[in-house]
Amino acid sequence: MKKMMKKGLLILLLSIFVASVQDLGAQNMSDIRINEILVINTDDFTDDYGNKSGWIELFNTSYGTVDIGGCYITNDPENLTKYMIPRGDVLTKIKPRQHSLFWADSKPHRGTFHLNFNLDESKEILFVSSDGRTIVDRIEIPHGIIPENVSYGRFKDGVSVMADKKTVDIANTWGVLERTSPSTNNFGADKEPPGMLFMKIDPYGIIMAFTAMSVVFLSLIILYLVFKHIGKYNIKISRKRAEKAAAGSKHIVTEEETSAEVFAAISMALHAFYEDNDAHDVENTILTIQKVTRNYSPWSSKIYTLRERPFKSR
Amino acid sequence: MENKGVFSLLTDNLETFLQYTGFANATPGHILMILIGLLFIYLAIKKDWEPLLLIPIGFGIVIGNIPLFPGLSVGVYEEGSVLNILYQGVQKGFYPPLIFLGIGAMTDFSALISNPKLMLIGAAAQFGIFGAYAIALAAGFAPAEAGAIGIIGGADGPTAIFLSSRLAPDLMGAIAVSAYSYMALVPVIQPPIMRLLTTKQERLIKMKAPRAVSQTEKKLFPIIGFLLTAFIVPSGLPLLGMLFFGNLLKESGVTRRLAETARGPLIDIVTILIGVTVGCSTQADKFLQMKSVYIFMLGAGSFVIATSAGVLFVKAFNMFLKDGNKINPLIGNSGVSAVPDSARVSNNVGLEYDRTNYLLMHAMGPNVAGVIGSAVAAGILLGFLS
Repeated sequence: MKKMMKKGLLILLLSIFVASVQDLGAQNMSDIRINEILVINTDDFTDDYGNKSGWIELFNTSYGTVDIGGCYITNDPENLTKYMIPRGDVLTKIKPRQHSLFWADSKPHRGTFHLNFNLDESKEILFVSSDGRTIVDRIEIPHGIIPENVSYGRFKDGVSVMADKKTVDIANTWGVLERTSPSTNNFGADKEPPGMLFMKIDPYGIIMAFTAMSVVFLSLIILYLVFKHIGKYNIKISRKRAEKAAAGSKHIVTEEETSAEVFAAISMALHAFYEDNDAHDVENTILTIQKVTRNYSPWSSKIYTLRERPFKSR
Repeated sequence: MENKGVFSLLTDNLETFLQYTGFANATPGHILMILIGLLFIYLAIKKDWEPLLLIPIGFGIVIGNIPLFPGLSVGVYEEGSVLNILYQGVQKGFYPPLIFLGIGAMTDFSALISNPKLMLIGAAAQFGIFGAYAIALAAGFAPAEAGAIGIIGGADGPTAIFLSSRLAPDLMGAIAVSAYSYMALVPVIQPPIMRLLTTKQERLIKMKAPRAVSQTEKKLFPIIGFLLTAFIVPSGLPLLGMLFFGNLLKESGVTRRLAETARGPLIDIVTILIGVTVGCSTQADKFLQMKSVYIFMLGAGSFVIATSAGVLFVKAFNMFLKDGNKINPLIGNSGVSAVPDSARVSNNVGLEYDRTNYLLMHAMGPNVAGVIGSAVAAGILLGFLS
């Protein structure tokens, strides 16, 4: 029964592990977001063939490379596998926090990044995981508010949640953008490095010194307090143990003191009893030392580890 | 006619060959850097200054400054060359955490656990980092560069390499060489500052003998230490994680083989690789700039600030301690994480004034706290500036 239970537990653990590994795989794709779309393109960027068409920009929100090969992009919720992004194309690997652009020109024969539908006739765009069932991200196209050659996208790349980081709020995180920005971020020029931003508020490094020293002190003060108390507790425990041991040894001493005589009396009585009954062996008082034989083995022979003494040949 | 052709072919080949030799491509910068490398080797062998670091770095400097004909795919900055592949550990920053693993596996934190208030000295000495950061900002360095330079004050080579590879990769060679040079110079830099900032009476303070630390406390230290520091500064994770992991291997008592590997062959291999590749990275054209001179000056400043901050902190701390519990301010210098050199300096200076006053074990407390402190400080700088 116990064996069965152990086996069951093992199987359960294995299935949890397998499920979690599968989740991890899916997690990568779940980091992809539809980031920006241009529905009607008559005077904006052109593709490699010199054609103007609508486009969809995807964004990798994670800090790891995600391969979207095998995933699907569709404009039909009833047909989630409408366009499969071909596998094996190195360009389908989106680097951390980078973008990928798909032209919605109904010309999939032109390459990996050309979809088999147009956006002007689509109501919704969906990005579907490689299992063909899991919808990773979707966005309805508000045709009424998007003018020609103007894109609709997230104000901040990949972000569609409010400040609480839980509530999804499309109305306030998506909108008509001031400029189209295929394959680049949606909020303008590249951000200034954090160090430069920090320097603006702290040109002399005083805030940094104060903040950082406070954090270093805080970390080590917490560690100090924890180990001060652990130390105290440990000393207390050791004292208790020592006291207990001392009390225990006292008890043993008393026991030894009283019992030694008793044991001696019992031993004497037993000895006398066996002597009277000739129960003792007669010992011959001869000590025999037996020779221990060691078989010779060249593996342990000393002569093989020594150098031969040099001698003069005559 | 044919003979002449063969002769001209030979001379042409010789000329081409000469173009490839170091003699044809040498510049005064290369010669100067080779001399610096040889000086490092001399100091290591003759003066016994940090030989385990200065020999690999010194020889690395010599290797890195052999004048090369560009495009031979042998230089440290030429992609795909052997040296470049070895240099990836520095560039991507995976050597320093491995060194921290070894440090953790060889460090005994008992001195710190038995007297945890010594941790605060390790925190105080980190002021050198942020003092140097402020001075570097004033000297016109960009904030990320200033942060990378400031970490020299932590007196921790691997941390300096780790941080500079993230914040200022261009300055990494100068920062690493500066950090290791000053670490080797700890016995020269620190004693005058310690003497200057303490009175004779203070130098004679005898500290209470540390209590015996139980094995359970030793086992708990890396676990609790890691959880607390990593939760406060997650950006220091690679260094803190490896440091405490290494220590757990040592103290758990059941992973002796792993601990021995971490503190033996592993740390030796990585020290060789980090030393020689950091040395190689100091190619004259990249290294010989005014910025490097400033970095060396700021590095010296940061060491002075760190040592002073540690000593002064102990003096201030003593005002709140009872007579029997006072700390000898000579151990304040060991708040920098040059383990165990700065602790040895505390001990030697202490013995100069009282031949019976052995401060080594007391100084090891702030010394190992300094390792934790500098890793935390690096995490903070990384969090703010990267």
